[in-house]
Amino acid sequence: MASIIMLKVCQLTEAEVMDKIITLKEAAKMVPDGSSLFWGGFGYQRAPIAFAAELARQKKRNLTIHTCGSEVDLEIMAGAGVASRFEIAFVAIEALGLAYNMRRRVAEGKVQVEDYSNLAMAMRFLGGALNVPFMPIRSLMGTDIVNKSRYLGDKKLKVIDCPFTGEKICLVPSLQPDFSIVHVQRVDSNGNAQIDGIIGEDIEGSRCGKKLIVLAEELIHEDEIRFRPDQTKIPAMYVDHVVILPFTAHPMQCHNYYDYDLEHLMMFHKLSRTEEGWNEYLENYILGVDDHYGYLDKVGWDRLMSLRAKKPLGY
Amino acid sequence: MVKYTKIEFLAACASTHVRDGENVFGGTGLPLLAALLAKETHAPNINLISEAGFIDARPGEVPLSVADSRYYYGCSASIGLIETLGFLLQGGRIDVGFLGAAQIDEYGNLNTSYIGPFESPKVKLPGSGGGNDIASSAKRLIIMMTHDKRKFVKKLDYFTSPGHLKGPGSRKKWNMVGGGPEVVITDMCQMDFEPETQKIRLMSVHPGYSVQDIIDNVMFDLIIPDDVPTTPEPTEEQIRIMHRLDPHGVYLGKGD
Repeated sequence: MASIIMLKVCQLTEAEVMDKIITLKEAAKMVPDGSSLFWGGFGYQRAPIAFAAELARQKKRNLTIHTCGSEVDLEIMAGAGVASRFEIAFVAIEALGLAYNMRRRVAEGKVQVEDYSNLAMAMRFLGGALNVPFMPIRSLMGTDIVNKSRYLGDKKLKVIDCPFTGEKICLVPSLQPDFSIVHVQRVDSNGNAQIDGIIGEDIEGSRCGKKLIVLAEELIHEDEIRFRPDQTKIPAMYVDHVVILPFTAHPMQCHNYYDYDLEHLMMFHKLSRTEEGWNEYLENYILGVDDHYGYLDKVGWDRLMSLRAKKPLGY
Repeated sequence: MVKYTKIEFLAACASTHVRDGENVFGGTGLPLLAALLAKETHAPNINLISEAGFIDARPGEVPLSVADSRYYYGCSASIGLIETLGFLLQGGRIDVGFLGAAQIDEYGNLNTSYIGPFESPKVKLPGSGGGNDIASSAKRLIIMMTHDKRKFVKKLDYFTSPGHLKGPGSRKKWNMVGGGPEVVITDMCQMDFEPETQKIRLMSVHPGYSVQDIIDNVMFDLIIPDDVPTTPEPTEEQIRIMHRLDPHGVYLGKGD
């Protein structure tokens, strides 16, 4: 009898291990200090804010973040001391102004930013996904992006004479970070992930990391995936872990699911002007809550529901 | 007499440089407002593209982000960044791009990255984003800036995006896809580039400003042609359309 129970327990445990669906806490726990991450989302769209906040709650340190352009999530990771290196093209809060946390941390020397352009970063992810060491691009040449480096030195990029045409061309090194973190609208339990709206650099980014963690607003049945396979932007075979979580991008937006929360965003931006203000936000909305649901409770469900997208607009 | 603010003047003036039928990289903020105004007035057939992946966009109100869902509804294709910055832009298919900057030098080179020395920067600015790509590969570039003497510098603190680099032959040396900046529009004047030297040249001054005002508000030697006309004022219709596109004054409300 006892052995039967043991067997059942084993099977259960086995089944849980096989399942890709894990909690946000478990997902963040997998990321050791010092890891490198591809960071998904673009501008206001599908930003994995909840993951950044959980990394801060777990006091992760010395991460390197790779992305084209992100905003509140980068501010959280720079401000809370989670990430010390960023290889990026852009950080600000579009329409509102400068990224104050990043500005302070850079001035303090606590954060190092290695500057690229959006296309350069996207090509670095594409190169990593294709498993080739570099990609050629026609931007960057003649500027300080070529001439100045924060920590990569001559590994940042190379301008060469094309071996075929003899013309100048810029080579950017491919990236295969330890993890890719991507936020999507829908996923099935196998990990097939659907993205609505724009993709940004998430096709390349999701395929370049050594492990891929997908955060999804909604869990859908496999039949829905097979009914609309053209909507699957990340097939399950790439996906290692899935976290199902509503309002992952709040206060940013998630196409077809919810709009940005401009009031919260402006409050965030205003507080981040000073270290004191930022600490107040960090304590109130990130460290002072147990988890993402605690954050959502704090923001308030009436407010969250008012942000829900209206058909057919998508916001 | 039409009543207008400096910001409205700047956006309306920039819109006149967009030509009908062009493929335009709109971005966000005042450049986007200028592109949308052009589309609603003299250039109804422009193809408005956002680098996040939206093609042939027709937003009913101004998006706050290049990735804003407001760009999605009504666009004809919604793809991704390699599509727009790679296939379209680097592929040589973009006619005009808009850029702003914290600093510009006399060849139209731009800084959007750092104020202060690179080794110990005073202010970390947003960075290139798609700016370097657009400046390198768009057929022509419209630069929009609010006018401040400290922005028109002899030497950039950081050289983010290429204008005409060191002058004639520079863009060819680096095999650049695009032709570089064509005009610089501020809330005081319009400037273009002298063909022989590719240096910034005064083109017109906005009503209320003199040529001397402009000379006093740049830190390099500005080329002054013999004849400097006054920039035409925006129309009431242009101002009305801009406020319909930006009903909450997110962009128009800034400054005066």
